[in-house]
Amino acid sequence: MHEASIVRELLETAGARAGSARVRQVRVAVGQLSGVSPDALTFYFEILRGDTVGAQAELEVDLVPLHGRCLACGRPATLQELAWSCAECAGALVFDNGTELNLTSLVVEHG
Amino acid sequence: MGELITIEQKILSKNADIAADNQRELDRRGVFAVGLLSAPGSGKTALLERTLAALAGRARAGVIEGDVQTDRDARRIAALDVPVVQIVTNGTCHLEARMVQEALSRLPGDLDLLFIENVGNLVCPGSYALGEHRRVVVTSTPEGEDKPLKYPAVFRSADAIVINKIDLLPHVPYDIEQARAFALQVHPGVLVFETSALTGAGLPAWIDWLLAERRGSADARQ
Repeated sequence: MHEASIVRELLETAGARAGSARVRQVRVAVGQLSGVSPDALTFYFEILRGDTVGAQAELEVDLVPLHGRCLACGRPATLQELAWSCAECAGALVFDNGTELNLTSLVVEHG
Repeated sequence: MGELITIEQKILSKNADIAADNQRELDRRGVFAVGLLSAPGSGKTALLERTLAALAGRARAGVIEGDVQTDRDARRIAALDVPVVQIVTNGTCHLEARMVQEALSRLPGDLDLLFIENVGNLVCPGSYALGEHRRVVVTSTPEGEDKPLKYPAVFRSADAIVINKIDLLPHVPYDIEQARAFALQVHPGVLVFETSALTGAGLPAWIDWLLAERRGSADARQ
């Protein structure tokens, strides 16, 4: 449920960046180890955008692929979906990323 | 036509900035801070009570207590004559760096160790850095051994994991070796302590680790 506070921060940052322009799209990147649910982000975005610069904006959530390697066989792994064992040898995986929670871009309209 | 503005900024960058300020302030005071995260009822506060009693005379410790409601935990800590600040979040499911910043201003400056007990929740607190030097996740035997698999993000972010309530092992269907295996599966190489805050079992190794980490951190700053 912390997605509500995250969306508030997001709308505030978007407002600061957009200035007097109207925001049409807000794009965010979410890692699979961020502890944040994309569905919950979208849910709260639709509730909280009301009186903000994002009132008419859509939220686009990109899931960031996990990059890592197997501790046993050393094989590099790129995962679209979280897993804990190597697909080849079932060894443990370590990841270089996963905690992303970023505002990537805005689409704004002037005038 | 719309104009695309590329931003690439952490959504919680304000929190991250304040967390970095908090850590600078802790370092300035020479305080080593440990964040404690767990589900409600895992025995964080009981473990803390035992830990504080064991640290008496060895390190000056303080506590920041985070709860959704009541100062019950802070009163338990204050009874041990340990400086404590209660943060009541009034419904918010996690502590944020700005809350810790405010609490720091109300703690004495001459502490060696500071424990920051987060709101009982294994999801939301994981997203918010507070400025702590180490993060410890506490789980307990009645919760079942699969907690690390169900909440991987927070277990992965932990510097150490404590399995508490080992005194209940004869009474609950909990396979502690399986629990260790699950913890190591989501976080290869993570340190796992087994404790009972009730009997004190396993406490010495946990206390030794805290003191060693504190010394290591102080040495690194010199």
